[in-house]
Amino acid sequence: MVKSLLYIFSFLVLGEFLKEVLHIPIAGNIVGMFLIFFALKFGLIKLSAVKPASDKLLKYLVLFFIPYGVGLLAYFELIQAYWLYIAIAVVVSAVITLYLTAIILQKFGKNG
Amino acid sequence: MDNLFESPIFGVFITLLAFFGANALRKRIPLAIFNPVLMATLSIIVVLVVFKIDIDAYNKGGDLLTFFLGPSIVALGVFFYEKYEEIKNDFIPFFIAVIVGGLMSIVSVVLILLLFNVPLVIVKSLASKSVTTPIAIEVSKIIGGIPEITAGIVILVGIFGNAFGPAILKLLGITSKSALGAALGTAAHGIGTARALEEGKLTGVYSGLAMCVNGIVTAVATPYMIDWFL
Repeated sequence: MVKSLLYIFSFLVLGEFLKEVLHIPIAGNIVGMFLIFFALKFGLIKLSAVKPASDKLLKYLVLFFIPYGVGLLAYFELIQAYWLYIAIAVVVSAVITLYLTAIILQKFGKNG
Repeated sequence: MDNLFESPIFGVFITLLAFFGANALRKRIPLAIFNPVLMATLSIIVVLVVFKIDIDAYNKGGDLLTFFLGPSIVALGVFFYEKYEEIKNDFIPFFIAVIVGGLMSIVSVVLILLLFNVPLVIVKSLASKSVTTPIAIEVSKIIGGIPEITAGIVILVGIFGNAFGPAILKLLGITSKSALGAALGTAAHGIGTARALEEGKLTGVYSGLAMCVNGIVTAVATPYMIDWFL
């Protein structure tokens, strides 16, 4: 468990480092996500070496972002003023996204 | 009492308590609206408002929890690899479907909000509304949105997809299980994926993978798209 957590944090540090030196407009942890995917795909690290910690982190993922949801409280007035526009935009956009993704894969996908 | 509220223990404790309670509630009443994240978030908000506790006091504990979003995003890369291995044969059409859906998600929400003349800070906060909350938060920070607004809307989008996604797609003539999964993961991230898993294993795998791919697409594309549009 400690070893796999060390792996996860190593990729996190590497991602943050690359973001800083290369000045890319992508968060360091997302760079780290790319790097660990490719490290697994090209066999540089084994799945079993990172899986214990990654499974635990993902199991509690929702707990980690609840405080951001609570932070919405501080922006109550801003949301209240525009809630209808936000609701329309979000619902229409979600339906477009659902349909486009589904229809393309239904037409060209192989797995039914 | 004020000392306790000023300590990180308070924020962590109340979040754990709310999350535990919300999970227990969901087990009893399996409705989409009783989503554990939504219920936990709302009940914490109610406690803070009723007892007049400052959000900054809550965040002393909250920040300890949100710290783990960083390593969790790296863990998503591991999850992505596992799922990728399962659908390799179908990857190209799947990849194209998610990229098109993901990009149109950003374009459509930004254009509609601009049309309504909504303040730019809200537009920036909502551009990443379809992707998994931790990634949406990072994107929002980078393009100058308000991460708290992003998180709140992303959770609501997930619940919308979870509750209505399959019915909407069926109405629009979608019968393919993999297409249903990819659409739920692309439009409604992890909360949509929870519903996809209920529809079957294949649907769940496609949804989980779509959530990861759209997370990447949105993380990479949004900063540039916001530059073009605004």
